[in-house]
Amino acid sequence: MNNMIGQLVANGIVYGCIIALAAIGLSMAYRIMNFANFAHGDFLTLGAYLALFFAASLNLGFPLACVLAVLATAAFAVLLDAGIWKRMRSSGASRTAIMILSIGVSIAMRNALIIFFRPDALRFPVPVMESINLAGILLTYFQIGVVLIAFVSMIGVHTILSRTALGKSMRALADNPNLARITGINVDLVIRYTWMVSMGLAALAGIMLGLITHLNPNMGWSLILPMFAAAILGGIGNAYGAMAGGMIIGLAQEISTAFLPAEYKIAVSFAIMIAVLFFRPRGLMGGN
Amino acid sequence: MQDYLVSIILTAGIYAIFALGLNLQWGYAGLLNFGHVAFMAIGAYATVLLSMNGVPLILAVLAGMIMAGACGAFLGVATLRLREDYLAIVTIGFSEIVRFILLNWSSLTRGSFGLYGYPRPMEELVAHGDYNLILAGIVIVVLLLVYALIEILAKSPWGRVLKSVRDDEAVSVSLGKNAFSYKVQSLALGSAIAALAGSLLAFYLQYINPNNFQPIETFYAWIMVILGGSGSNRGTIAGSLLLWGFFSTTRFLEGYISLSPSATGALRMVIIGLILIVLMMFRPQGLFGRKEELAVGK
Amino acid sequence: MANEILRIEGVRKVFGGLKAVNNCSLSVTEGTIVGLIGPNGAGKSTLFDLISGFARPDAGSIVFSGKEIVGLPAYRIARLGLIRTFQIPRALMRMTVLENMMLGSQNQLGEMIYAPIVRRSKVLADERAIEKKAEDFLKFFDLLRMKDEYAGSMSGGQKKMLEMARALMADPRLLLLDEPFAGVNPALSERLIEKIKLLRKNGLTIMIIEHAIPYVLALSDELYVLNKGAILASGQPDKVISDSRVFEAYLGVGSDAQP
Repeated sequence: MNNMIGQLVANGIVYGCIIALAAIGLSMAYRIMNFANFAHGDFLTLGAYLALFFAASLNLGFPLACVLAVLATAAFAVLLDAGIWKRMRSSGASRTAIMILSIGVSIAMRNALIIFFRPDALRFPVPVMESINLAGILLTYFQIGVVLIAFVSMIGVHTILSRTALGKSMRALADNPNLARITGINVDLVIRYTWMVSMGLAALAGIMLGLITHLNPNMGWSLILPMFAAAILGGIGNAYGAMAGGMIIGLAQEISTAFLPAEYKIAVSFAIMIAVLFFRPRGLMGGN
Repeated sequence: MQDYLVSIILTAGIYAIFALGLNLQWGYAGLLNFGHVAFMAIGAYATVLLSMNGVPLILAVLAGMIMAGACGAFLGVATLRLREDYLAIVTIGFSEIVRFILLNWSSLTRGSFGLYGYPRPMEELVAHGDYNLILAGIVIVVLLLVYALIEILAKSPWGRVLKSVRDDEAVSVSLGKNAFSYKVQSLALGSAIAALAGSLLAFYLQYINPNNFQPIETFYAWIMVILGGSGSNRGTIAGSLLLWGFFSTTRFLEGYISLSPSATGALRMVIIGLILIVLMMFRPQGLFGRKEELAVGK
Repeated sequence: MANEILRIEGVRKVFGGLKAVNNCSLSVTEGTIVGLIGPNGAGKSTLFDLISGFARPDAGSIVFSGKEIVGLPAYRIARLGLIRTFQIPRALMRMTVLENMMLGSQNQLGEMIYAPIVRRSKVLADERAIEKKAEDFLKFFDLLRMKDEYAGSMSGGQKKMLEMARALMADPRLLLLDEPFAGVNPALSERLIEKIKLLRKNGLTIMIIEHAIPYVLALSDELYVLNKGAILASGQPDKVISDSRVFEAYLGVGSDAQP
């Protein structure tokens, strides 16, 4: 029994989970730091390659390698903040200047990875998985794992945001940056944690992407449009919006292949983004 | 050695023209366009396709410029009311969509196979080996013309309005200037100039495919503009010479570093990225810009 | 019988629940100076924004020289001859004083993209004429010696004068001055009063928002008082000023304006 629409929906959910995780970090960082970080995709790539490095070169078990990769990426993000972003913030640089700088970071990161690894496609050192057949839908264990891990992560993010003091500060800072600063929140600390959570999630998304497809230096950068589309669709600054936005973008892209050639997927997310910017710029759940 | 110098002049010159178009949009009008390469692509493909179908070369180049200008105007009208970061995202998206169309409309563009065997200006006049010299001459003449055009416009009343729109749109509007129209005009003209560069690039490379027109090309132009000092046309040309000088001299060193060719290419790009980071952090006015006239970091 | 150059009727503007301008109506006769006063936050600058097209009223009509201008883009309203200045002077810092001035002139052929190329000599001739006009206005405001300085290097009071001079370059028929005396020293202010009177003598209609009551009284032919977005009183300046409601309005908000 072949369930084509079901297959597309399933693929869409898998892909959407990856976009969603990446978009959460992008959205929150965007709102709190008030600039579009064009290097965000390259943190996905970094996470994937670090996992590969820890697993293949240091011969650690793959799950441990992934955890280390997520932590290392988060740490790198904090370092970058201390060295670069923070300095731009305190010197009062314009949003445009920081955006252009993020392009520089993106170029440097991507190409540094090419130097240390190879520019061709690589795979994680994990066994090739068979697909299982659920009601006519073919899924590998990896794909199922991606969805499970993504949902667990989203619940984790929700817990952090709603139950911890830190999370509440992050939400406050994202909701209304000026007000939050006046009410005595330790802005630098919150920003540091925001980077950690954002880029940790991005690394995780990158690893998942590498699991279900493969690794190449452009893997994260090539998702820049869907990620921004998801963040804008959900409303910049709203993590739940980013989750919803990511799922919608993922589903829309996969389901579109039923009517359009597969290459048009990129156009779908672009079209959604344009539509949002013109008809409802604050997105589904965004503030003003 | 002469061939080598000629090819530097050609590349630096073509990209200088490309970057001058961007400088008009960013340095003078203050518009953030991250999709500039799309118009280079439109110029290249329009010129090549038309001339392959019998259209005289001059007209084909002109047609490419007009098409790009129209697309630039359309993009402006559609997106200029967006905040600058949304504008950045949308313009990158636009350039990727253009590349995507070129890649997938194979019946027209032969997709990733690309196009070759198209006519080039003054090809019949010289032996094949000497052609680049002629083309270099053409590029230099075009560069000087474009430079002169932009300088005249910049110092004219039109340029004055453009600068006022960049500095304080409310003031220019309060004095009766249609600020929006000026922004669209500068986008259109800058895009037409990018198209001209694209046509010249097609003549130089003798083979084009959509991979020649990736977003990184736009960011090369940005680096040239910022390096030279946003708003300074001379600076932009200098920026182009510096960037391509850097690329070529590092190519010399390839033999001396024990990295694979792709790694050296990547190392070059890492340095480019670092240069951009350092520029934005410590010297956003570039090498020749003036701090008071800073377009970035206001 | 002088013409009515501006008529505002029932204009309303709400910002997030707050009635910034609440059912305002007023009339301005050509060739007169109309003063607009009121406590801080009364809606005076908002009213200027609405008149000049920088904000759109939620209700009401604004008729300038017989033409309804609500809904017109701000640049078009300026082209009709309705020019405004800003409360905080907005000199274009990166341009010289002279460039600021020459920008003000309307209907310049050289501002069309093709003209500097294909009609070069005409544009150059126009520029010389505009430069002369600019220098005349700069002289009128005693700013001529600064003409080649960057506007960013001027003092606050000088920027205010520059903004007024620049506005005059645009050949206004109605000039909206937003606190023209703010930051201008008393000696300069006295001369400014004379200059504004001279402009009126030459047929210009002027509306002035001002906090310094003496200057408003010295200049206005008619006075409107705005409070909490609505017109509280209007008419002859000395009668309006002595109206007790006006005094209370200022007191109510915590007055720093002394008659």
